[in-house]
Amino acid sequence: MSYKGHILEVNNLCLSLSNGSSAPVRILNDLTFNVRSGEILGLIGDSGSGKTMTALAVSGLLSDFAHVDSGEIIFEGEDLVKKSPKQRRLLLGEKIGVIFQDPSSALDPLQTVESNLSEIIRLRSGDKEEGRERILRMLKTVGFDDPEETAKRYPHRLSGGQRQRVLIAGAALMNPSLLIADEPTSSLDTVTSMSIMQLLHEMCQEMGISILFISHNLNAVRNFCDRVMVMKEGTIIDSDTSWDIMGQPKSAFTAELLLKSRLDPKSLGITQGKAEEGAPVVLSAEDICAGYQYSYFRRSKTPLVISDVSFDIRKGESVGLIGSSGCGKTTLVKTILGLLKPESGSIHRSGKIAAVFQDPVSSLNPAHTVRWHLDEALMAAGIKMSADEKKNHFLKVLEDVGLSGKHLTRFPHQMSGGQRQKAAIAMCLVQDPSVIIADEPFSALDASSQASVIKLLSDINTKHGTTMLIVSHNLRVIKAMCSKVIVMDKGRIVESGDTDKVLDNPVSDATAALLKARMYEA
Amino acid sequence: MGSAVRSALIRLCEFLLTALLVSFLTFSAFAIIPGDTARVMLGPEASEEQVEALREELGLNVPLAERYVDWLGNAFRGDFGKSLSFGSPVGDLIASRLPVTLGMSLIALVFVVAVSFPMAAICSRNPGSIKDKSLSTAGHILFAIPPFALSMVLILFFSKVLHIFTAGRYTAPSDNFGAYVVSLLLPSLCIALPKIAMTFKFLRASMIEFSQGDFVRTAKSHGLSDLSILIKHIIPNSAVSSITVISLVLSDIMGGSLIVEQVFNLPGLGRLLLAAISRRDFPLLSGIVFYLAMMTVILYFLADVISAVIDPRIRDGRAS
Repeated sequence: MSYKGHILEVNNLCLSLSNGSSAPVRILNDLTFNVRSGEILGLIGDSGSGKTMTALAVSGLLSDFAHVDSGEIIFEGEDLVKKSPKQRRLLLGEKIGVIFQDPSSALDPLQTVESNLSEIIRLRSGDKEEGRERILRMLKTVGFDDPEETAKRYPHRLSGGQRQRVLIAGAALMNPSLLIADEPTSSLDTVTSMSIMQLLHEMCQEMGISILFISHNLNAVRNFCDRVMVMKEGTIIDSDTSWDIMGQPKSAFTAELLLKSRLDPKSLGITQGKAEEGAPVVLSAEDICAGYQYSYFRRSKTPLVISDVSFDIRKGESVGLIGSSGCGKTTLVKTILGLLKPESGSIHRSGKIAAVFQDPVSSLNPAHTVRWHLDEALMAAGIKMSADEKKNHFLKVLEDVGLSGKHLTRFPHQMSGGQRQKAAIAMCLVQDPSVIIADEPFSALDASSQASVIKLLSDINTKHGTTMLIVSHNLRVIKAMCSKVIVMDKGRIVESGDTDKVLDNPVSDATAALLKARMYEA
Repeated sequence: MGSAVRSALIRLCEFLLTALLVSFLTFSAFAIIPGDTARVMLGPEASEEQVEALREELGLNVPLAERYVDWLGNAFRGDFGKSLSFGSPVGDLIASRLPVTLGMSLIALVFVVAVSFPMAAICSRNPGSIKDKSLSTAGHILFAIPPFALSMVLILFFSKVLHIFTAGRYTAPSDNFGAYVVSLLLPSLCIALPKIAMTFKFLRASMIEFSQGDFVRTAKSHGLSDLSILIKHIIPNSAVSSITVISLVLSDIMGGSLIVEQVFNLPGLGRLLLAAISRRDFPLLSGIVFYLAMMTVILYFLADVISAVIDPRIRDGRAS
């Protein structure tokens, strides 16, 4: 059904969360916006601004704790707030498709792709054979060359990008008029993100699906959406066409958000970390080959994930490690840290190596305070101190990372994502390492926290002279922070050298592909 | 399907190795027990000649390794030697008790699955609700009551109040299969109740976790109702994770339940084990222990195979 004008109108929507015992907290405040037929509308804002709540309110997937206080959500001329839960449920998958952030566990692991998708058709008692045809056609549309084969696969045999494609196929299967995409690419690497966004763009153009695209990725929104809205504290503070909002933001908040997302080295005050003339090598690898074995019965043929990897990193240097997902970056990090034993080759380290990982939520123990984590890091490094020394040391380190003494007694859930990542960095610093390895330390954070964590790592590098190895798929960050870069592809180093030279004049196809996907970077 | 066949073969090899190891440990455990087996069996009153004669009869003078190989060869043919106190072959004795123990195990398993899954499903739909809290509390109470007390309460209730069960009457399956099943229903329930509580507690947690999971959210976004999500996604996934727990429960039940057998006067394995211990009947005892160990190993093997059949990730040799 085609609907002229606005496919979705949200008018003065107020929504609160309450868990029954405490007073309700207002999450969406007088929210008003509309989605025009056939457009891609971007919704940006920091985490906690109410973006996801908006998606859930429109789709009807709110939890029992959320309650719409007032306002209306008019979809194709009908107010959804007045509809029964069952009527709303049946709109889902039929008229409104939804895709979410993390595709890794969004498909039932026990069922094939086809079975995961066929539930949508079976629910609407469609013809079985016709339904199968429809699924295969849609799998083809979302970019699977051999839909028959893909339909038979189980989710664990698909990559993250492929899973997201399957989920998009599900959301678009019944030809909905509105697709809500909540951070659909933020857990994917840049090259994959680009292809997913191109796919969504095509679906909008060819199938006429309107898309509400929620993201904290300003660059993606800038290049992809017809219009953009900026959200803060549950309400829209800026809304216009992409061009205007990006060129001349009306509100100071949007201007700041833009500035942060640009990651301009000058405004952040960071420089590329260079080694001094004749600085000693602190970390080097020689022809490392490594892989994983799942069973001791198959020891003989461990498939190699990385092969013949060699590099030297000098003291004080900041080195970027880039490459698309699955190229072996994380495997290399694990090998350097000694978490994975290489099949052949050798690694030379001088001094301590500490690591920061992508997800600050799962890398901290939820049952313990920051003090406990720092204590443990100290113990793991075999450093002994008196209680007083320890306290002073901790306070100094916390100050260095931009936290304070009051955070010592905080539990992980009492801190924001950026603060948790800073606490994780503090855990590295208490060990006084010579090298810090940071594996995608920014990608789970929103734009504001990203900027502050980047600044922090850069400061640690330039002020303390700590050597950095930064794994990221964000080329702009790498370019701003690192003087050297290593490009990996299919488990091998394909290019390395001065960051500016490599990124300005790439010689390998892999680097060129990464550069091409750059416009969608967070 | 090549990978499925290969992983099944690997599991079979692991199973055979484990079985061999278990049999060796069982055998040597009885050989290593401090003191002279023959002396322990005959008691301090016996003369040195009697002890020596028994040692000869039991083959205790032969080296351990040789005795093990002999015993293994015999065990392989189903011959576990002769019971000292009953005078009949150990294999026959165990086999005669199996109808009671296996029958009770099977019926108890049916109770456990049929009750704990629906209970957990009801609780997981609305954790923290009154329904959830009362069912969870009921589970805790069941778990806390000692089996003998539970048995007696159930006997009193079913035979004295309702008059639908006669305690202490057992019918062999060869005589009347229907009556055999009926005679085992109440004892099986006694065994099952605490296990239901245990399985329920595990399943409830697992279902709550899955119902907040990403693939359930996807199913919701496909427009599925809560009930179809429960049936299609949550229960199968919880079933996979509960296979280990259920196999643990089952291997526990398979060993027979001394107290329940005693209270209901049933000729099960538990009472045979008690007799073997109290009469120092070492061949019988080692036969029973070997049976128990093998049952456990077989159950774990089956649990692995079933998991692999249901879960494609395990088939591919990846831990979930």
